[in-house]
Amino acid sequence: MTVTDTAPLKLNGRRHAPSRAGRSGGRGLLRHVRRYWQLWLMALPAMVFVAIFAYFPMYGLQLAFREFDFSAGLTGGDWVGLKYFRQFFDSAQFWTLMRNTVVISVTTVVVGFIAPIFLALLVNQVVGRRRKKFFQTVTYLPHFISIVVIVGMLQVFLSPTSGLITRVAQFFGATDVNYLGDTSTFVPVYVISEVWQHCGWNSIIYLAALASVDTQLYEAARIDGAGRMTIIRHIDFPALVPTMIVLLILNMGNVLNTGFEKIFLMQNPLNLGVSEVIATYVYKIGILSNQFSYATAIGLFNTMINFAFLVITNQIAKRVSNTSLW
Amino acid sequence: MKRSVRRRTTAAVSVAAVAALMLGACSGGGENGGGGDGNTVHILVTKHALTGPMADMAWVSDLEEMADVTIVWEEISSDWDQKKSTMLAAGDIPDLIVGVNAITDADLVTFNGLFEDLSDDMDALPNVQGMFDAVPATEVMATQPDGEIFSVPSYRRFWPETTTRQYINQEWLDNLDLEVPTTWDELFDVLTAFKEEDANGNGDPNDEIPMDWAPPGNSGFGGFQATSLLSSLGMPISDGGSSTYFVEDGQVGSIFTDPRYRTVVEFLRECYAAGLISEEVMTQDYSTYQSVGRGNGDTATVGFSWGWTASDRFGPQLADQYTATAPLAAEGVDPSEVVWSYDDYYLNYGVNAITMSAQTDVHDAALRVIDAFYDQDMSLQVLWGDFGTNIEKTGDDSYTVLPPADGQTDPSTWKWTTTLADLGPGWIRDDIDVQLPADLDEAVTQAEPLAEALSHVDPVADVFPIQFFSLRSEDSSTISLNEANFASIAMQNWATWVTEGGVDTAWDAYLQELDAAGVNQNLEIYQRYYDDYVASLG
Repeated sequence: MTVTDTAPLKLNGRRHAPSRAGRSGGRGLLRHVRRYWQLWLMALPAMVFVAIFAYFPMYGLQLAFREFDFSAGLTGGDWVGLKYFRQFFDSAQFWTLMRNTVVISVTTVVVGFIAPIFLALLVNQVVGRRRKKFFQTVTYLPHFISIVVIVGMLQVFLSPTSGLITRVAQFFGATDVNYLGDTSTFVPVYVISEVWQHCGWNSIIYLAALASVDTQLYEAARIDGAGRMTIIRHIDFPALVPTMIVLLILNMGNVLNTGFEKIFLMQNPLNLGVSEVIATYVYKIGILSNQFSYATAIGLFNTMINFAFLVITNQIAKRVSNTSLW
Repeated sequence: MKRSVRRRTTAAVSVAAVAALMLGACSGGGENGGGGDGNTVHILVTKHALTGPMADMAWVSDLEEMADVTIVWEEISSDWDQKKSTMLAAGDIPDLIVGVNAITDADLVTFNGLFEDLSDDMDALPNVQGMFDAVPATEVMATQPDGEIFSVPSYRRFWPETTTRQYINQEWLDNLDLEVPTTWDELFDVLTAFKEEDANGNGDPNDEIPMDWAPPGNSGFGGFQATSLLSSLGMPISDGGSSTYFVEDGQVGSIFTDPRYRTVVEFLRECYAAGLISEEVMTQDYSTYQSVGRGNGDTATVGFSWGWTASDRFGPQLADQYTATAPLAAEGVDPSEVVWSYDDYYLNYGVNAITMSAQTDVHDAALRVIDAFYDQDMSLQVLWGDFGTNIEKTGDDSYTVLPPADGQTDPSTWKWTTTLADLGPGWIRDDIDVQLPADLDEAVTQAEPLAEALSHVDPVADVFPIQFFSLRSEDSSTISLNEANFASIAMQNWATWVTEGGVDTAWDAYLQELDAAGVNQNLEIYQRYYDDYVASLG
């Protein structure tokens, strides 16, 4: 980002006198392109990529408003307007799905947002380069374990008869809890394992922000008699705020996107009441039952909500802290 | 100045080079497989995860020779469901798709126009026509409501009538001096004894699991599950209840809303509360369930369960400890009403075993391949493996399926490793003589105690014949939408009621909830199709 932003300025300053600038409309654009064509050329592959893989496929969205008819092609089915949206809102599953999706994803976003910050502050306090690196590596390694393996591990550790964690919990008095089946334990199990897996990885970006804090600030604070907690509160934490806000906004754009694979693998008949989310329902309806229009409508609805969340969070962040994506 | 020009040129060249590389990478995958010479047939085949490459099967070259074609295989061993939707939606399919139910009836309806209608090509398919004449059920299975034939089923003939057999550990019974239970009450007492005493004699009275069953899916039941107890009450289910519907005296019903289902749930709740059922019964996956059944060495851990054969369910080492038993009687039910899951249409027939693309440019060659699959010798080789290594031809119409060549694998695994087995197309003739492999023999023998109960099932009036239904597009989508809604509600209640109880208070509200989710609408639709099916049998 920074590189592409500053590069034209440099070129501009070096080669052309400011007095020549300020010509009108179309000719200005032409001159602009002629002057910076290398940069446009460099950006071109990325623009083409986004256009082909992000914007072009959007024409398929009209499927949500049409009856899917294979012989007539993707865009040839009869126009049915909001039929499929209504079908979804009227469906017996609608409120269950919405509630489950919101509960799981909001908990994951909140806990998954706070935990890496604490971890980064903690890692930053570890004395000794090697110890710090070791600690950091240990915390981010689980990120690379595949989801299937994670769920397999959960099944083994939480098995009601032989699971390690179940046994330990029994030792502390929590008997008769089926962590895999109980409706009240599904969300905690999901969120805690999710945070455990990704916390270390997500803290890397905060560690980078902390590394850029001017050491003079620490020295000055220590001379003024600041303790460790005071330094964290008044120097480290404020240094993280801009990063936190950008990440929060980005996370809010995914607020209804629960991790499909993990939830799908963790589902069993006992926890279905809390584990059926929009993503798994769309899979069952759209992919397994060939209801393409219906699945597209649900997907579009999901995206609209995510988009709304993204915009709202961005506006709030802009007002409150002057940091925003746009 | 000169230097700066050169630098600009270099920059432009490198940018262009990068762009070219990216574009090149994009177009790399678009190579076409060729074909069109009238002799090369592209076939997509869905295989079991164990099955080896097609190139290792000797019958493949016989097939090529017989049909006078060259076959290019595309072999799919996993995740077909995910790949399929996109492939079909893109309309880009190979000449033939092979594999039982690789293309489902719902696909045939959704993607109308993508598949070739074979009904006008029957002259070129004498073997298939022969099967339709000899086994009329296969023709009913293949024919759509408007008479088209988009795919051909397979017929295997030798399989038993049911998937699920019921087993109890005879050694445990002998150790505790008990009789084989014949009623629910007796079963409860036997299971209690299994739980409280050291039935397997290893000194630990707590390591016995009195009862266990296969993990139910999130959308329905299946073989080897507790739904087998429904048959004690006379509910004629098929395929272990996987469709969630049943037919009784010509009336389509839903397992989920039947009072007899509630009775079974109440009985299982009692068992679960008394600690007679594995605690993991609702959460374990299939491989855990299977490995638990295999016990530790010579020590069995499971007392009472359901399975395909004793050696498949409990492992060859423990198989001898178990005895196959007859269905249990429930209080107040006449023995003549006791039935058992009737799975003949599922076990002996394979729906949509081979499907042809409508856009194929090797129409005639593809037809020759289809017909070759239904040849007498070819069908046997596709099912059990190559002549010589897997089957010995002992006479004109008599064959012997040989034991595994490596002497270690079990016959079932051996079959799945070496050929397409049950997933392949084919027609096993009714008039040939085949010496069956040991696994099938075992399945047939251990199904004997169930024979009487199965004889109470009328194959037409008491079987939900889902294999024969070809749903119209609008019915198909109504049914699957409703199922997605009510099946998950029902399965969750099933699991909760068995493990935590509460069926008494929740039952009426549950019935209303299921009705709102469309269960009765589905029954009406299926009743219509069922009546049409009965009419088509004449």
